Amino acid sequence: MSTKLNNPEDIFDPNTNNAIVVKNLVKKFGDITAVNDLSFEVKEGEIFGLLGPNGAGKTTTIKMLTGLLNPTSGNATVGGYDIRKNLSKIKELIGVCPQQAAIFKFLTGRENIELFGNLHTMDKKELKERTQSLLKAVNFTESSKRKAKGYSGGMLRQINLLISLINNPKIAFLDEPTVGMDPRARRVTWEFIGSLKEQGKTVILTTHYIEEAEALSDNVAIIDYGELIALGSPKELMEKHDSKNLEEVFMKITGRRILEGI
Amino acid sequence: MNMQRIFALVKIHLKKLIREPANLFLMILFPALLTLVFGLSFAGVESGVPGVSQFEVMAPGLYAYACIFIIMTVAQSFSDDREQGLLERINTTPTSSSEFIGSHLISNTIIGLIQVIIVVILSFALGFQPAGTALGLVFAFIFIVFLAICSVGLGLITATVAKSAGAATGISFIFILPQMFFGTFIPITPTTQVIAYFLPSYYVTDALTSIFNGAPILSPNVLMDLLLIIVISIVIVAIGILLYKKYGNK
Repeated sequence: MSTKLNNPEDIFDPNTNNAIVVKNLVKKFGDITAVNDLSFEVKEGEIFGLLGPNGAGKTTTIKMLTGLLNPTSGNATVGGYDIRKNLSKIKELIGVCPQQAAIFKFLTGRENIELFGNLHTMDKKELKERTQSLLKAVNFTESSKRKAKGYSGGMLRQINLLISLINNPKIAFLDEPTVGMDPRARRVTWEFIGSLKEQGKTVILTTHYIEEAEALSDNVAIIDYGELIALGSPKELMEKHDSKNLEEVFMKITGRRILEGI
Repeated sequence: MNMQRIFALVKIHLKKLIREPANLFLMILFPALLTLVFGLSFAGVESGVPGVSQFEVMAPGLYAYACIFIIMTVAQSFSDDREQGLLERINTTPTSSSEFIGSHLISNTIIGLIQVIIVVILSFALGFQPAGTALGLVFAFIFIVFLAICSVGLGLITATVAKSAGAATGISFIFILPQMFFGTFIPITPTTQVIAYFLPSYYVTDALTSIFNGAPILSPNVLMDLLLIIVISIVIVAIGILLYKKYGNK
């Protein structure tokens, strides 16, 4: 399971099997502290749920880990590379599914996926095969020939997710990948995300569907007001907080903070 | 610089031009329509020089005019991509800012050349008979390439300042209007001449006019215009890149 780091030097320890190490990460926007002294580890090959209410700091954390924001203080490694020094190396390893479906609407779904494969300088044959297999996995092959302009919100989400996986990333950051999908598409996507673990990928998943995190995640971190308030496997957290599911844990600990005015 | 990335992005920019009717109109049909309107209106009007119509005097300015609107489309495109989170998404791939901006420079230079080829064909069809040689025409295209590069740089600067695609359209006119009125085919006064010295389109129109009047391409006037447009291009693009890297995708 993921544990908090005790030794600051652990962050660059090459002998661990950590895909991600976050150590005392802080991000401030003026007077507002979006992420406050956040520390956790993610093991290689695990699905790690990053949960929290709106504005908790989940997306800010992901943006720092993927090089879109510079931390105010603290540090992290992704795939063993320092986020402050080796961003270009990190970008070769990762796939990022942003919260907002970022897609060129005048392109077809397939063209969008292939564009990002080319930005990862994939071989032409490999790109074609990988695109085909991703589209098939979520039953999107036929729809992928249409321009994204005509897609529903759920379809845009599916292409959004597939783009992030085209480069066969070792580490995938999925920021609320199933928002706006109908229950059937969500179920297919859950199975698809679950299959990433079987392929040995590390997945960082943020979601508001707590049952999604419970079903998919090996470990979860719950953050609120930018601070880590719970960390462990769903089972451990349910036992610790005497709850029958993860949603109850989430409501108990985030609700308690509201009641206590923390 | 990875060419696979650059060409993939160039392809996307060109597809955007073809698949979005508003872009296609502004970049291709608008310069063509404008040439037709001016051609039909001024082809029969004497310019004061025997045997030369007013349209023939205006034609070099029309070539430059077509390229100026690249400022608006580049600014809109960057702002739009930023609003939709696409710039951020591209930023999570190994694509560098230089590769991304380079792709815009290449695609918009291609668009600028397509515009000018259309305007050249139409103006020839409407009776424009320039003096000079085929080499002169090639040289004229080189000037157009640099004007397209300047326009991409100004588009980048506009996109950096603008907070939305709508704002980018409005702000781009700060760069478009002076170039339209003081640096293309509209006669300039001693006052507007001073402003014109700061405008890239002025040097391009000046050089094209000289070339089409039969001046040798290596004449001091043409070479000075070339030197100035190269320097202006480098300065504008450098400012554009610096601003874009610092503030552009935030």
